[in-house]
Amino acid sequence: MVSKQPRPHSLFLIAGFILAVAAGFMITGGAAAGTPQQQSTEEYCLSCHNDPELQMTLPSGEILPLYVSPEKLSESIHSPLGIECQACHTEIDTYPHPENTYQTRRDLSRSYYLSCKKCHSTIYEKAQDSMHAQVASEHPEAPVCTDCHGSHYVQTPDEPRAQISTTCSKCHSDVYADYKNSIHGSALIDEDNPDVPVCTDCHGVHNIQDPRTAQFHIDTPEMCANCHADKELMDKYGLPSNVYNLYELSWHGVDVSVYKARWPTIWHESAVCTDCHGTHNIFDSESPESMVHPDNLLETCQKCHPGVSANWTDSWTGHNEISYERTPWLYYIDIFYKTFTPVMLWIAGIYVFLQILRATIERVRRSKQ
Amino acid sequence: MSAEMEKAALQKPAIQTHRIFQRFTTGQRWEHLLLLISFSVLLLTGLPQKYRTSTWSQQILSTPERVDLIQTIHHVAAVVLIIEVIYHLGLAIYLMAKRKLPGDIFITWQDIKDAGMMVAYLLFLKKEKPVFGKYTFEEKLTYWFLFFGVGIMVVSGVILWFPELITRVLPGGVIPAAKLAHSTEAIVAGIFIVLWHFYHVHLQRLNLSIFSGTISEDDLKTYHTLEYEQLTGEKIMTSENKQS
Repeated sequence: MVSKQPRPHSLFLIAGFILAVAAGFMITGGAAAGTPQQQSTEEYCLSCHNDPELQMTLPSGEILPLYVSPEKLSESIHSPLGIECQACHTEIDTYPHPENTYQTRRDLSRSYYLSCKKCHSTIYEKAQDSMHAQVASEHPEAPVCTDCHGSHYVQTPDEPRAQISTTCSKCHSDVYADYKNSIHGSALIDEDNPDVPVCTDCHGVHNIQDPRTAQFHIDTPEMCANCHADKELMDKYGLPSNVYNLYELSWHGVDVSVYKARWPTIWHESAVCTDCHGTHNIFDSESPESMVHPDNLLETCQKCHPGVSANWTDSWTGHNEISYERTPWLYYIDIFYKTFTPVMLWIAGIYVFLQILRATIERVRRSKQ
Repeated sequence: MSAEMEKAALQKPAIQTHRIFQRFTTGQRWEHLLLLISFSVLLLTGLPQKYRTSTWSQQILSTPERVDLIQTIHHVAAVVLIIEVIYHLGLAIYLMAKRKLPGDIFITWQDIKDAGMMVAYLLFLKKEKPVFGKYTFEEKLTYWFLFFGVGIMVVSGVILWFPELITRVLPGGVIPAAKLAHSTEAIVAGIFIVLWHFYHVHLQRLNLSIFSGTISEDDLKTYHTLEYEQLTGEKIMTSENKQS
């Protein structure tokens, strides 16, 4: 039901005007754009759709605004490239439009986003493998292209970078609330820091997977290592870049690397980075909000090791090299096995070698006698 | 050979009698067997756990159930070893308190001297080997190396088995220290046994006394001269040896 219908007597007038404009563009503007018909559609459509009050009521009772801002459209990515209305609205080529078949606004979105596939087929295929696409049949609200990128006013999605997390926050507001206070999120939002991860750096862009799977859990250390094992990047912020290597040698790390290599789909409890540091709510380890701050560490350990005593936290060597200050027990045991034991074994080895030598010479001598 | 000894050899009767001496008690033989089995099982089930990230280990530990299984076997063998250690120490302390067990196994100043003489012999600085009592300094070193090695393995192993319980009493720092000690000492003990013990009891000469419990008269005379003299009252040491 179109709420604003052109009155019958003015219909000829509008049609005539449009025809004249269209014809004009066919001749003049066509030479410049090379695709005269497309160039003309935007002009033609906007002649009605530039009315801010243009809207219709869908069978569901929802109001569907039909206004398209000519200014915003001209600033979008597609329009200046000559990709205009009909590129997506393929079934509408003139006025009057074919009868509306969409029950709800969601129906309409879920149908129109298929147009993106015409040009962006690779990305479309990737998106079809995503968590969002998998749940779409049960959850029609799961996002399609246009929910993140917009429909008419498509812009570069990561300018500024904080735009990405804002986009995700439209649905994932609780996660965003955690993230924006975190060390990563605050640097992004307050400082437009180019190095901190935004949502898509960890979750992927179009083929976003379920982060609750065993596979995602087991892949987490390597994901964090993408930045935290990058010496140049970590030096910039005065952070150690050997945390991943040291983690890999730890009890948790060895366990995780075995599961990753052998049984990535079997859930395993051994802690990965996010289990201790938090996922979206990661803070500087010296911040009182951090899960690994000394005041909170015991509670964090107890998530997996219920009932352990306060001594327990010291059994975690951190991502630190063996040192007298931090890990005196380990330090002395390490010294013992680096000095005393090798010396003992070498002496034993040399002694046995001398025995073999002496016995052989003795035997040769006796055989000559 | 001295002229006297040659004469004695010529006077030997046609029928020779070989005496056999007891070296180890039945209990000691069982203890060694128990130690041998538990040590081997612990090493065989421990190494794949130590080298979990390597391919050969992952072929053995091919499923999470196998990891559980090998850990269970390791724990059972550990319990056997711990029982053996407790029995060994308890019995030794009891017998020594009752003065039924001479302290032959303890390292004395003579052992240091013996070691020096033996090295001198090996470097061709001396012509004759030193003579030894019931246990040579090599055998004592084997015993004490393993004594402390097993001690380290048992203590660190228990810490690693019950880390959450242990840290109720001990500081948390002992856990990673125990992990390092357990992991390294296993290799050290393994190398030592193969290098030192296997050479001395398999290659140098095949010495099966610990399994048979006995030692032949000839071997006793040659390798444990002082003990032979002590047991038989005969004096066979040469004047050269006595000086040293």
